[in-house]
Amino acid sequence: MALRMTTQRRALQGLGNGALVLMVLWTAIPFYWMIATSLKHDKEIYGYEATLIPERPTLANYATVFRETPYLLYLRNSIVVAVGSTVLSMVIACLAAYAIARLNFPGRALLARGLVFTYLVPTSLLFIPMFAMMSVLRLTDSLHGLIIAYLGFDVPFCSWLLMGYFKSVPVELEEAARVDGCNRVSALVRIVLPMSLPALVVVTFFSFTHAWNEFLYAHVFTSTTGARTVTTGLVNFMSQDVFFWGPLMASTVMSALPPVLMFLLFQRWVVKGLTLGGVKG
Amino acid sequence: MATSTSVSLPLPSSRRGLGSRGYRVQRFLMRDRTLGYLFLFPAILVIVGLVAYPFASAIVMTFQAKTAGAPGRYIGLDNYRELFNSEQFLRTVFNTVVYTAVGVGVKFFLGLSMALVLNQERFCNNLFRSFLLIPWAIPTVMSALNWRWIFDDASGLINNVLVRLNLIEETISWLSDPHLAMFSVILVVVWQGTPFFTMSFLAGLQAIPKELYEAAEIDGASVLQQFSNITLPRLRPIFITAVMLSAILTSAAIQFVLILTNGGPADRTMIFSVLAYHLALGGAQRLGMGAAVSLIFFPILVVFIVFLTRRMLREKGD
Repeated sequence: MALRMTTQRRALQGLGNGALVLMVLWTAIPFYWMIATSLKHDKEIYGYEATLIPERPTLANYATVFRETPYLLYLRNSIVVAVGSTVLSMVIACLAAYAIARLNFPGRALLARGLVFTYLVPTSLLFIPMFAMMSVLRLTDSLHGLIIAYLGFDVPFCSWLLMGYFKSVPVELEEAARVDGCNRVSALVRIVLPMSLPALVVVTFFSFTHAWNEFLYAHVFTSTTGARTVTTGLVNFMSQDVFFWGPLMASTVMSALPPVLMFLLFQRWVVKGLTLGGVKG
Repeated sequence: MATSTSVSLPLPSSRRGLGSRGYRVQRFLMRDRTLGYLFLFPAILVIVGLVAYPFASAIVMTFQAKTAGAPGRYIGLDNYRELFNSEQFLRTVFNTVVYTAVGVGVKFFLGLSMALVLNQERFCNNLFRSFLLIPWAIPTVMSALNWRWIFDDASGLINNVLVRLNLIEETISWLSDPHLAMFSVILVVVWQGTPFFTMSFLAGLQAIPKELYEAAEIDGASVLQQFSNITLPRLRPIFITAVMLSAILTSAAIQFVLILTNGGPADRTMIFSVLAYHLALGGAQRLGMGAAVSLIFFPILVVFIVFLTRRMLREKGD
């Protein structure tokens, strides 16, 4: 019996290792191609002399991106929009989550449900009326408009995530502080927020990367170079015939880097935050 | 707020010095009900202004002939009538169902396999785990652009390798062959979306107590029996949540199709979000038609959304 078990286990481990190799290749090859292309001369990218491994690596494509395209402007716009919407949604979501987690008032459960519900309504259902609304408010082609639009996703999501964390902070701590003269606001700032630091990191990560990665609203609401973010800017590069794969892959590598680095840095917390519901269920 | 500065003072003395009016104002502000609505006001504003109002106005729009910036003209059910008589729309319904079902199904099985493999003990497992999750962290637009280049007819990676290995005579048009385009798009969706399932399932696997397996082993249960009697039932709640969430997000994701094929060739990869985009923002700017396309799928989505809302709140202990 025990012998059969060990054989089974060993076979399974072998199978797992084999599968892992395939999965690593499946994940890695597209990355490799993206980075390799960005380091090649055109001669190695197209035609009969095309190579699989760059023979004479070059940073020329990166130089082209900075010299001949408004990439830096797109980068700046992305940073402005991501930081703006992250800060705003953090403040709004902290207040909302605290109210739902700690305060007792009629309509509380309904509002909690409303927040989750709105988080789940995809933007592809909303972009047409949002476009009409933004046109009327003259918020198209503007970074302000994008910052505001992204709150529609960020606030519900962040509130939902923070709600759970705030509930896990022991009420007794807060009560003790209030006996000592803290009011609700200072209890939130001094007790609940510091104890929810991991959640705040996760929430910051999510709203920042969401704004950084968002494409549909950015694409629909902007038609001029001045207000384009990185995502819609790169797609716009693609539709221009002059711009080709070398520089395009160079800018893709650079644009993918910030969220990937953030993910690797905060991974432990992010995975926990994302799967929080699942683990408890 | 005089109280916020002195944490160590006992309650009555910290309020000493406030006039009776100030005291009343403060008590009013600190009442749960007032404070609750005050704290929630910005969030309510966001929900109403950026989700509820646009959603309601989308419903109104579907009964209108409307272009951006101009007021709409009511035309009753004409938009819906035109849609149901259009072959393009019927193809779009079919495509969306295939795209979502196949995409979510493949992601599910690949994600479960990855999670099971990563749950085994091995050298440097954490490193593999981080690495396999990266496609999820990359902006979807960047992945889509990269894959468009991988699929490129003349110089893309796949054709490049296949030609070198003498496996094909002529290059394959992955994105413009009517029989291959949907397959290629789903491949990209799977590449990008599998890590989400892996993460969810892995967290679920790690939450299963080891003792359960040890006990089963003593009773002589085989590995397969352990899997079907312990692992699967324990993961079931996560299966349901992950599949529903992914179905909503996959069916609604627009950037893969928009960047890879733009709905072509001959509408073979046209899904509802892309059709809505073309109708509303293509040349004719028919916002009403576009909104009608988006909303026709909402009744299906809303079942998922309501169900998920309940689950997500229950899991938060509400």
